[in-house]
Amino acid sequence: MKEQPRQQTAVADRPPRKKIDKDKLLLAVAAPVLAIVAALAITSVIFLTTGDDPFRAFSIMVDYGSKSDSQVVIINKAIPYFLSALAVAIGFRMNLFNIGVDGQYRIAAFFAAVVGGALALPGFLQIAVVMIVAMLVGAVWSGIAGLLKTTRGVSEVISTIMLNSIAAAIIGYFLHEGRLAVRDGNLIHTEPIPEAAHFFSIPTQEDPVNGFIVVAVVVGFLYWYLLGRTRFGFDLRTVGRSEEAARASGVGVKRMVVTSMVLSGVVAGLVGMPTLLGESYNYGTDFPTGIGFTGIAIALLGRNNAVGMALGALLWGFLERTGGRLEFEGYAQEIVGVMQGVIVLCVVIAYELVRRYGLKAQQRKVGEQLAAEARTDKAEVSA
Amino acid sequence: MRRVTKIAAASIASAALAFTATACGESSTESGGQDKGVGLAFDVGGRDDHSFNESAARGVDKAKKELGVDAKMMTAKNNETEADREQRLSQLAEAGYNPVIGVGFNYEKSITKVAKDFPDTTFGVVDAVAKGKNIDSMVFSEHEGSYLAGVAAALKTKTDKVGFIGGTQNALIRKFEAGFIQGVKETKKDVKVVPEYLYPNNDKGFNDPAAAKAKAKGMLDRDIDVIYTAAGQSGAGSVESIAKKKGAWAIGVDSDQYLQPGLAQYKESILTSMMKNVDVAVFDLIKSVEEGKPLTGTNAYLLKDGGVRLAKSGGNIDDIMPQIEEAKEKIISGEIKVDEQPKG
Amino acid sequence: MANHDIDITVRRGTVHALVGENGAGKSTLMKILYGMQKPDEGSIAVDGDRVSFGSPADAIGRGIGMVHQHFMLADNLTVAENVVLGAEKLYGISGRARAKIMELSEAYGLNVRPDLLVEDLGVADRQRVEILKVLYRGARTLILDEPTAVLVPQEVDALFDNLRELKAEGLTVIFISHKLGEVLSVADDITVIRRGTTVASVHPSEVTPKQLAELMVGSELPSPETRESTVTDTVMLDVDGLHLSATDSDGVVRAVLDGVSFGIRKGEVLGIAGVEGNGQAELVEAVMGMRDPDGGRITLDGDDISRASTRKRREDGIGYIPEDRHRHGLLLEAPLWENRILGHVTEEPNSRGGRLDLKAARSDTARIVRDYDVRTPGIEVTAASLSGGNQQKLIVGREMSHHPKLLIAAHPTRGVDVGAQAQIWDQIREARREGLAVLLISADLDELIGLSDTLRVMYRGRLVADADPATITPEELGSAMTGAASGHLEHEDGRDTAQDSDQPGEQRDGGDTR
Repeated sequence: MKEQPRQQTAVADRPPRKKIDKDKLLLAVAAPVLAIVAALAITSVIFLTTGDDPFRAFSIMVDYGSKSDSQVVIINKAIPYFLSALAVAIGFRMNLFNIGVDGQYRIAAFFAAVVGGALALPGFLQIAVVMIVAMLVGAVWSGIAGLLKTTRGVSEVISTIMLNSIAAAIIGYFLHEGRLAVRDGNLIHTEPIPEAAHFFSIPTQEDPVNGFIVVAVVVGFLYWYLLGRTRFGFDLRTVGRSEEAARASGVGVKRMVVTSMVLSGVVAGLVGMPTLLGESYNYGTDFPTGIGFTGIAIALLGRNNAVGMALGALLWGFLERTGGRLEFEGYAQEIVGVMQGVIVLCVVIAYELVRRYGLKAQQRKVGEQLAAEARTDKAEVSA
Repeated sequence: MRRVTKIAAASIASAALAFTATACGESSTESGGQDKGVGLAFDVGGRDDHSFNESAARGVDKAKKELGVDAKMMTAKNNETEADREQRLSQLAEAGYNPVIGVGFNYEKSITKVAKDFPDTTFGVVDAVAKGKNIDSMVFSEHEGSYLAGVAAALKTKTDKVGFIGGTQNALIRKFEAGFIQGVKETKKDVKVVPEYLYPNNDKGFNDPAAAKAKAKGMLDRDIDVIYTAAGQSGAGSVESIAKKKGAWAIGVDSDQYLQPGLAQYKESILTSMMKNVDVAVFDLIKSVEEGKPLTGTNAYLLKDGGVRLAKSGGNIDDIMPQIEEAKEKIISGEIKVDEQPKG
Repeated sequence: MANHDIDITVRRGTVHALVGENGAGKSTLMKILYGMQKPDEGSIAVDGDRVSFGSPADAIGRGIGMVHQHFMLADNLTVAENVVLGAEKLYGISGRARAKIMELSEAYGLNVRPDLLVEDLGVADRQRVEILKVLYRGARTLILDEPTAVLVPQEVDALFDNLRELKAEGLTVIFISHKLGEVLSVADDITVIRRGTTVASVHPSEVTPKQLAELMVGSELPSPETRESTVTDTVMLDVDGLHLSATDSDGVVRAVLDGVSFGIRKGEVLGIAGVEGNGQAELVEAVMGMRDPDGGRITLDGDDISRASTRKRREDGIGYIPEDRHRHGLLLEAPLWENRILGHVTEEPNSRGGRLDLKAARSDTARIVRDYDVRTPGIEVTAASLSGGNQQKLIVGREMSHHPKLLIAAHPTRGVDVGAQAQIWDQIREARREGLAVLLISADLDELIGLSDTLRVMYRGRLVADADPATITPEELGSAMTGAASGHLEHEDGRDTAQDSDQPGEQRDGGDTR
């Protein structure tokens, strides 16, 4: 009896893995190719229905987007998008829908700007202080949603949306002459951060690339490492895949919810930093908004994968940059928004299709192997 | 599936890199162009906002007709960054448009920056003061015009409650608010003014008629019967709400909204409009460039120059014109000093 | 699962049993017959006509209905409403429908009371409602997927009586099961499926349970081994006065565990019998630390763990085979090696310090797959693509790999085929010999009696009775489970079942055909 299991084994030892890996590669390429082809096809149809030439539009975009100054702009645009996507993805990985990245980065950037404008520390130290303040404020803001969820059962979707409004209102209140801001013509902004505390930038032959790209890459790496290579990351992903299984496996789900919301907020706090420390040096009425929502789209686009999201962020930057050109060339500016939406949808649908196909193929394969064994067994039975 | 994504990501990454490598060294600004006419970059809402942008567009249209110049107009999106605005302006400049005009104070920084890159082009910015020797900064005394709107509102209200809706709570719109409140109060002390904003700090406020519609509805429900809306394109929503209530008045902004074809069905409810003559300023600039003597520096368009005024179309304020004229004279003479920002 | 070369002929007016290991392809076959899945090749004929089903609606149109293993009833509706729901067009929604329900109920002896709320019904009654639902839609052929899995022996008898009524009225029943004793007692024909293909068609009179089991597994079954007591004197788990209240769906707070006290010694298997929903699941979750009891003490190997976290308890040596492996035991979308880490992420070989050791985890997964005979093409496939039995083998392998002091096994062989079942029992016995304490919860009374050293009966959150597995019969245990008996259960008619009980499960089940 005890020997029996070993006789039946065999299957796991056989080397069919190679074949599966080849299929996997094929599947991996299939999804993005499918998505891109579908997105191009759909946008072409949209161009055609408005009476425009899609190929001319695409060639304008490729042409303009490949210019060196465009590339600098694309990269600079992609930095905050990437950070925002990371913040969103931390939530996604455990099935939390942090819609509040938008509010989190804005309120974080605002208070960081206030602190940065009020201090005059040595440059390096001041940059660190500003960033820490931003991360803390972001963490507090998202942590509220986490606590509300664990203690009161409030859906994080609802609470983060509301916190976005509250953040906007708080900024609106303080961003007033005589409160925490100064007036500069029709612009109102916080006290500018002293020049010593400006973040470095990487000069190119065109405009400089924002030095915050280094921070973004480091955060991206940390994201990958933390989620993929640590116990904490495993626990987090477990909760995302099955809350019940996580509970049974010994993960404190509630604590995990709060922790990951806080982490998401910490990263969200960094989203405004490339702009604050490398471009505007103050938080004003013209501070960019909506990056948190862009992050959601990019996290979907990049499938929560660090490299995927980096590419998604660059793609987004590319579309925005070249979209401006399209308008200049006489196309409707809304077309780019349509394209962005279509691409996200196509990617999500393509990956889901490929995933289902892969799962089915896998099941069939498992079944086929067992069936193959059965055939030989059957021969034995009848013999 | 994670492995799959990784492989996919890696392959796209290498493709992207290969693509990038080939493009290095060539800049989009290297192409140039001849004089192509006027380049106009709108604020959010676009040309057809029945208000601010449209007023600027009218100036360009006039120049087209009278001076025979060509023009290209582009529009800002919501959630824009500095880079987007810079891109828009430099595209126009490098294509050879002259002058290049940014409509709205959001263009202040980008104009300053781009103007340096194109010293031979004249730039214009509306509602902001941008530094640069080839920049024409066009500013208006909205507070003075709004004061007159306040006078009209105070005289026309039957419930003694009037409202102010601002698109976004920024310094410019607060100027409208300040003038309006002062105008109301100094005309009829007991009239209550309710100032509200659509967004605390999001330019979407100028591009969200639905929000303005709801806001106006809320005010009407509180017995407010005259509403002054300074919110660009959003204002149309406010007018729509007000038109549904008999006896309630809307005061428009920037353009003469009584004459706007898009608002024609509501025009009977439009009391007047605080016209900010952006068209005049824009036309002045274009003309100066065409004549080879481009305007630069800060050019203020005040009440006394006709830079701001109340529209009389429809004749709804004909009966109170004497009081309005009186207030106007006092402002021009300096007897009344209008605040630029609300008190407190 | 892939099926191939399935040949099956079901005669009208018979009960046709379909037996096979889990993962053998029974469910796939049923899905094809019921139109939920399309075959790649081959044909289906009903009453001689070739048919092709695109959806369950087509199958119903052809008079084929299915009673699923998991009931699909709306709790807050009455029986009649549940029956009519979705079939309003047939007989309307009031008088006519009601008359039809009563007519069907009487014709087949289903004893359904149409005005009761489904939430007030027991499992067996719900099952009858499901059957009625199918009949109401005009089914002449009923497919029943593992209908006895949730029933106690008395209820099984009643169900079989219903099936015989259906048969007598000329209806056809396809009965899926892997409980061979039941199959032999009720079926007219039996088809055995193994690894996706039909291997035999037999008549119940021609085969013994053992032969049937061997057909299913495809090899000779191991012979029973004699029981030797491995129970020691050292108490491993001590539960004292455990009390847990919970709020039910009506907002009423009631005690789901009330004064539960027991001890398990090293080398002892304590079996807990009880109709599902009497607090067994809560007991397991309380011992695992997934629920916070409001009273009582839990001691593991001398340490009070009442306040310890689930993770701490796992690290301290509690192994857990959960009742619902899909919800609590696996990450279905994750590869096998990640599932191997699940629940033991802080332990060797899965991690060192805070870091995961993916290489070690992977190679240890390969070892588990090998040693525990998990049939899979590799460790990168997702857990979802394995059959139930293989999933369970992976879980057992994972839990055993950490050498637990206490193993909580909740329905360890539910939905698991005969081969895997024997293997899992063997693993438990072997570990028991090495001093493992086992808390066994099972609805399979033969398994309980066969494996346990001590038996307790749980009823409404209390341990109401105890019994000696050496003498007790499933019937006696069954009646104690319904609350009819308490205290120490004595075997009554003196029939000696001790020898039989060495071998738990299906094999001996065939012995007491009713």
